[in-house]
Amino acid sequence: MTALEAGMLSQTLLLVVAIAAALATPLSWRSRVSGTFCTLLAAAGIVTGAIALAGGTGSLSIPTALPMDPLALSPDRLGGLVMVVVSVVGVLASLFGIGSARVASASRTAWLSMAVFLFGMQLVPAATDVVSFLLFWEIMTLGSTALLLAHHATRGTVASALVWYSAMSQLSFFFVLAGFAMLAGLAGGTGFADLATIDPFTWQASVAFLLLLLGFGGKAELVPLHVWVPRVLPEAPGHVAAAMSGAMVNIGVYGALLVVVRLLPDGPAWWGVLIMALGGVSALYGILQASVASNLKVLLAYSTTENMGLVFLGLGASVLLRADNATAAADAALVAALLLMLSHAAFKSTLFLGAGAVARAAGEMNLDRLGGLGSRMPWTAAAFGAAAMGAAALPVTSGFVAEWMLLQALIHGSRVDGEVVSVAASVAMPLAVAVIALTAGLALLTFVKAYGIAFLARPRSQEAKQAREVPVIMRIPLAIGALLVIGLGVLPGPLAVAIGGAVGPEFTPDVRTIGLAGIDARGIDAVLDPITFVVLAGLLLVPVLIVLFLSARRHPTRTSPLPWAGGGSRLRPRMQYTATSYAEPLVRVFDDVLRPSRDVEVTHAGESRYLVERVHVEQSVSDVVETRLYRPVLNLMQRAGILARRAQNGSIHRYLSYSFVALLVVLIVVSL
Amino acid sequence: MFTTVYPQLIGLCTGALLLTSALMVWRHSLLASIRLLSVQGFALAALVAVIGVEEGELEVILVAVLVLLVKGMALPWVLARETHATTRTDEAPRLNPTAALLTVALLTILSYVVASRLLTGDTSISAHAAPIGLAMVLIGFLLLVTRRQAGSQLIGFLVLDNGIATVAFLTSGGVPLFLELGISLDVLLVVVILYVFAGRMRNKFGNTEIDQLRKLHD
Repeated sequence: MTALEAGMLSQTLLLVVAIAAALATPLSWRSRVSGTFCTLLAAAGIVTGAIALAGGTGSLSIPTALPMDPLALSPDRLGGLVMVVVSVVGVLASLFGIGSARVASASRTAWLSMAVFLFGMQLVPAATDVVSFLLFWEIMTLGSTALLLAHHATRGTVASALVWYSAMSQLSFFFVLAGFAMLAGLAGGTGFADLATIDPFTWQASVAFLLLLLGFGGKAELVPLHVWVPRVLPEAPGHVAAAMSGAMVNIGVYGALLVVVRLLPDGPAWWGVLIMALGGVSALYGILQASVASNLKVLLAYSTTENMGLVFLGLGASVLLRADNATAAADAALVAALLLMLSHAAFKSTLFLGAGAVARAAGEMNLDRLGGLGSRMPWTAAAFGAAAMGAAALPVTSGFVAEWMLLQALIHGSRVDGEVVSVAASVAMPLAVAVIALTAGLALLTFVKAYGIAFLARPRSQEAKQAREVPVIMRIPLAIGALLVIGLGVLPGPLAVAIGGAVGPEFTPDVRTIGLAGIDARGIDAVLDPITFVVLAGLLLVPVLIVLFLSARRHPTRTSPLPWAGGGSRLRPRMQYTATSYAEPLVRVFDDVLRPSRDVEVTHAGESRYLVERVHVEQSVSDVVETRLYRPVLNLMQRAGILARRAQNGSIHRYLSYSFVALLVVLIVVSL
Repeated sequence: MFTTVYPQLIGLCTGALLLTSALMVWRHSLLASIRLLSVQGFALAALVAVIGVEEGELEVILVAVLVLLVKGMALPWVLARETHATTRTDEAPRLNPTAALLTVALLTILSYVVASRLLTGDTSISAHAAPIGLAMVLIGFLLLVTRRQAGSQLIGFLVLDNGIATVAFLTSGGVPLFLELGISLDVLLVVVILYVFAGRMRNKFGNTEIDQLRKLHD
C-alpha cells in the first residue's frame, strides 16, 4: 500500500468514526468530539493531498455491482492541490465549529452531515472516472444540503433557501451529468483517460463543454446560476458558510480545470472568450451587489461570486491565449487563476468565520446595526481585517499576488514578440484588464465598508455594544486563516511553483521562486518579490513615522467639537456613516444596473407641513438575474403546475382511467 | 379422439370465459357477478385441465385443480360472504349497459388486432385463443374504471387476474405448479385484505363507494 492509498483509506475510516461519534455522543460533548474528528478527517485530506501534490501515486478501487469498470480513486497533482485547499478550509471550519456549534448546529444531523460534506469534497478531486466523480460530487451536495437542513427548525427562512439550494444543485448536477454523458458517448468509456482522447473541435465536444461549464459554473456560484448563494450562505452558521464558500466553490473550479486542462486541452478560441465573458460578468455583477449589500453575510456571499468570476476570467484567458499559441502567457494566466482560487479559499473562509464570530457575539448580521466591535473583539477584528485586505487585493496579502499575476498575464498576453496574437485576444485582454480594475476598486470600497462599519466607530445597537470576544478555540482558526492570507501574500513563490507543477504535463508554466519566496514568471517577464517590497515600504515608512511622532509631541492632542455635531461635542452613534449611506454614491452611479427600490415615509409633526417628526427610509436591492430570469420561468412552471393539478383530483376512478387509457394507447400503437 | 375435440374444447372454455366477462359488465347485481365469477373460475380450471390432458402432464392437471379450488370456489365464497353480510345497494355504474357492451366488443376487437401483431409466429390452437385472455384483461380494467362499489371493483380486479392467467396458460402451455401456487395465494391474500378494507370502509362511512375517497392528493 502506498502512502496515497493509506491517506485515502484513512479518510474513509475517519468518516466512519466521525459519523459514529456524531451519533453516539451526548449533546454536551458532541461538538467537541465530532468537531475533533471532522478536523482529523480534514487533516487527513491535507496529508493525502500533499502526497499527491508531491507526485505520490496509488489507486483505491471501489468495486461495484454495476456492469462497468470498478471506480478508481487516484488523485493526480492537480487533484492533490485542490484536495489540500478544501481540506485546509475544512480544518478551519471544523475547529471553529467545535467552539461555535450550539443547539441546532450541534445536532446529530449537523455534525454527521458536516463529516459527509467534508469527505465528499475531499474525494471529488481524487476521482479518475466520470462515475466516481459524480458519486462524490453528489455526496458533497447531499452533505451540504443536510447540513443546512439541520437549521430549518430554528429559522423559517431556511426552508425556502434550502429549496433554492437543492434545485440549483440538481440543475448543476444535471448539466454536469449531461456533459459527461456526451463526452463518454464520444469516447466510448467513462475513464478520464478515455475522455482525454476526444478531439475538442467536434460540435459534440463543444456542446459537452457548454453543459459542463454551466454545471461547474453553478457550483462555483457564477452568474446566472448564483441565485442560491445570497439566500443560502446567510442562513448557514459561520463555519458551514466558510466550508461552502471557501471550499465547495473550489470543487466547481476544479471541475472547470478538469475540462480545460485535463480532458479537453487546446480547445477552440471561442471557448476561452465564453469563459472570460462568464467570469467577467460574474465578477462585475457580484462585486456590485456586494458593494451595496448591508447584510454582512450577503456581502461576503456576493463577493464569492466576484472572486470566482475572476478565477474563470483567468481560466478563459488561458484557454484563449493557448488557442492563439501565446503559450507562456496562457500558462501564467492559468497559474494566476489557481493562485486566486487559493487566496480566495484562505480569505473567504476567514471572513465567513469572522462573520460567524460576530453573529455569535452580537447576534446581528445587519451592518447598519453593528459597529465598534474592533475594541470589543480584537482578535476577530484583526483576523477579519487581514482577510478583508486580502479580499480587497491590497499588497502583502494573497489577493494582491493573485490579481497582480492575472493582470501581468493579461497585459503581456495579447502580444508575442511585439506581434498581436489574434483579434479576439487583442479585444478581450484590455477589456478583461478594465473589468479587473473596476472590480478591484469596488472590492476595496466593499471591504472598507464591511470592516469599517462593523468593527470601527461606535456601536449602533445595544447588541453590538454588549459584544464579547469569542472563546479561544474559535480564535485559533481565525488566526490561522489570517496568517495564511498574509503568508501567501508575503511568500507566494513556492506555492506558485507547486501550482506550476500541478497543471502539467499539458501546461508547463515557467514559474520560479526568486529572492526570498518571490515569484518569477519567466514566460512573461514578470517578477514580484513581496519581501523586498515590504522591506522597502518599511524603510520608506520609518521617516514618515518619525515625523509623525515628533509632530505629535510638539502639538498635544486636542479634542475639537465636530462641526456636524450641531455645536455640541456629544457625538451619538446615529451620526455615523452606516453601510447603506456609505454605499449610497455607488447606488446612484449604478442605479440602472442595480435598480434599487426605495421607500421614503415622512411623518409630520402635528398639522405642520414643515415640521417633520420622523423620516423612515427603506431601500432594498433585488437580484436582477433572479427577478428577470428566474421569476418568469418559475411563474410559468407554477401555472403549469396548477393546470396539472386539475388532472389529479384524488378520485381513484380518475387514476384508474388514466392507466386504462394509457394501456389502450400502448396496445393501439403496438398494433399499428 | 381427444385431438379432434381438443380445438373445440379450447374454444368452449375460452368462449365461456369471454361470455362470463361480458355478462359481468352487463349485470349490475353484485351477487350475480359473483356467481359469474365462480363460473369463470370453473371455465378457467377446465381450460387448464384440457391443456394438461393434451400435453399429458400431471403437473398441469394439478394446477387445474388448484385453480378450481381457489378461483372457482374460495374467492367467490369469500366475496359472497362479504356481500351477504351487508345490506347492499345495487351498483349504479358510470357507463350504461349498452355503451358498456359496445365497449366490450371494441376491446375484444382491439385485443384480436394486437394479438395478430404480437403472435405472428405461433400457429398453435391455444395461441389462436390467446386474444380472449387479453380481452379479459381489458374488460377487467373496464370494470375497475366504471364501477363505484368496492366489491364490484374487486370483481374487476379478479377478472383482470383471470385474463392474465388465461394468456399465460394459452401462450406458454401451462405455468409451473409452484408459480401458480404463489400467484393464487397472492390473489387470495389481496382479496382478503381488500375485503377487510371494505369492511372498515363500511364501518367508517356507511358505504363502500370509491368515489368518496378523494383525499388522495395534496
